[in-house]
Amino acid sequence: MFNNVLLCTHGTDGAKKAEAFAFKKLEADPELKVTMLTVLDEDWRQMTGDDWLNSNKTHTTFLDHVENQMNEEIAEEWQRIKTSYPVAERAKFLQRTGNIAETITKTAKELGCDLIIIGSWRKSKKFSIHSTRMGLRTTMTNKDLHPLLPCPLLVVP
Amino acid sequence: MSQIKDQMPTLIMGGSLLIYGLIAKTGALLPVAKYLHTHKTMDLQVTMTLIVGCIAIVGALINTTRKPGTSKLDTFVLRPLGGIVLILVMAMAIRWYAEPLMKIISKGLQPTLGFKIYKVLNLNYVVLGILAGVLLTNTWGIPKFAGEGVKCARFVLKMGVIMLGARYSFAELAKLGVYSVFLVGFFVLGTVFLVLWLGNLFKQPKSMTGVLSAGMGVCGVSATVAVAPVVKAKSAEMAYTIGTILSFGIICMFVFPTIGKLAGMSPVQFGAWAGTGILNSAQVAAAALAFNAVDIETLKVAEIFNITRVLFLPIIVLVLATWFGKETGQKLSFKSVVIDKFPVFIIGFLILFFMSSVGLFSPPSHYKGKYIDVSYNDRSQVTPEEWEVLNTAMAAGEFSGLTPTQLEAVTNLVEQHQIAGNFEDRADKKAFDKAGRARMTQLQGVLAAAKAKQITLSADVKAAIKHAVKQVKKKSKTVVTLTDFMIWFFAFGLIGLGMQITKKAITQAGGWPIVMGVIAGITKATLSFFVVLWLIKDVVLN
Repeated sequence: MFNNVLLCTHGTDGAKKAEAFAFKKLEADPELKVTMLTVLDEDWRQMTGDDWLNSNKTHTTFLDHVENQMNEEIAEEWQRIKTSYPVAERAKFLQRTGNIAETITKTAKELGCDLIIIGSWRKSKKFSIHSTRMGLRTTMTNKDLHPLLPCPLLVVP
Repeated sequence: MSQIKDQMPTLIMGGSLLIYGLIAKTGALLPVAKYLHTHKTMDLQVTMTLIVGCIAIVGALINTTRKPGTSKLDTFVLRPLGGIVLILVMAMAIRWYAEPLMKIISKGLQPTLGFKIYKVLNLNYVVLGILAGVLLTNTWGIPKFAGEGVKCARFVLKMGVIMLGARYSFAELAKLGVYSVFLVGFFVLGTVFLVLWLGNLFKQPKSMTGVLSAGMGVCGVSATVAVAPVVKAKSAEMAYTIGTILSFGIICMFVFPTIGKLAGMSPVQFGAWAGTGILNSAQVAAAALAFNAVDIETLKVAEIFNITRVLFLPIIVLVLATWFGKETGQKLSFKSVVIDKFPVFIIGFLILFFMSSVGLFSPPSHYKGKYIDVSYNDRSQVTPEEWEVLNTAMAAGEFSGLTPTQLEAVTNLVEQHQIAGNFEDRADKKAFDKAGRARMTQLQGVLAAAKAKQITLSADVKAAIKHAVKQVKKKSKTVVTLTDFMIWFFAFGLIGLGMQITKKAITQAGGWPIVMGVIAGITKATLSFFVVLWLIKDVVLN
């Protein structure tokens, strides 16, 4: 039914369910095209908050470090996926930077995807001291995403 | 066409300011200003709104006719113009309307609530400005036209600190400097080591404890930004740490001034406590101005502590780089760790301090722009009501407990309506000045004796004498202007920085950083509170 799928993941429990679903479909359908998208949140630029003491050079060094660090962490995440799902070798891995909802929908449009797969909302583990997540804790609301959708959206429970 | 559309908000703001300025000039706003108790600022309101309005319109018109380039004028004035005007409009609206209204509403609610919201939450123009900035950025977001101007806030705040340099004396800087080096040194190093120890205790990664220790120990987010690349902090560690520091800092900004007032701290004590216990340096300035926004005593002390902390930053970066590098084998150059992290604006602060100290802004006889003028002047006189109070007290024999010289000074004050030398010596400026200053000293002695309960004077008499002394203490116009500018610079900078505190950044707080951060932050704030109360008692600011 669907030929070109955009799988959005950032390593959370919800996203892992979406990964499992998408790669099961990929295994079953050799013709299916899967692109795995990880978005680097542009709001990292806002994370320097009310810092006013540092020079521009120190700010740039910090943002460069964030970018390098995120690249490393995303590479580790992709490696985990490739190890967990050997069929993932057939998928295309893509990393983009920007506003999450806008980047997902823009990428889907660019690649001509006919389905976007994301994980479902989970209870926040914000104050859990047992788990730290990669990147920024961020939520994408339906209100932001739905008006921009270029194709159907599948939320995996 | 799109350029006109882009400049429309700036043109509208500029036009509105011009209209406001012109209406204010006619005096039509005086009744409102009197109701708000801002009538004394009407001249300033007219001047500021007309100047800013003209600059906004001219700048926006230039921007509509040509595309902004990369010249210095474009980079520092024309491109950020929209944001600069927006922040100035917010600052003016808050200083002249929001703050006075808050006071009136607070007073009205007092009988119902039993307390003044204004005083409990310290809702003065500085705190309101930060809150307005935070509110704007987290609701509508920073408007596109203002994006570049908002970034100027960092620069403007640094300019405010540089200007503050003109307000210190050698003695103040030396005394406060010694206190701040000891207190900040102890608490910075103490908190850094406490967090490192907690990290070890809870078996947390070195990169996380490294970045958190700098943030909690030195200067909040600024230290986190400086240290994160050095200790190779992971993304979640940075996000959790920044979120924790921002949340903790915002709470401190509201709680510190209230506790300080409840504990009866002096401006010097509060400045020292805020400068030691509050994490983010912008919030230190905000809390100092929240504690005392009328004069800048608290700000002066807090900023010295702030500057000392900032000077500790390269040292802490070096320590953490060495500590982290030992395990990872990472080597960093002295230049990249210390020289690149040195806050250059402190050199500007010191330059202003030296310029002021050599008398560039006021004659050498003046003390930091302040001087005593006992010459005949209407402005030096006590009010007719005060004169009446003094005269009646004199007739009633209320001054019987004074020494003969003190009594002579009071008698002369009643005779001349102001502190002055002898009328017959007025041609001999030196002798006239000497006699006037001696009388001022005697009157200060009267006030001190009344305070020590050695003599009994009515509150009205004390107020009249106090006012007479105050009237002959003049300030250099240059220094007064510089201070006024500085206060606006701080207001501008803090509103702009408020706009950079996002809900998203705050809500990153969590995990182990919030546990260790709260332990370290509360320990530091509590211990420094008691140490400051115990240690700092006798610094007198002029």
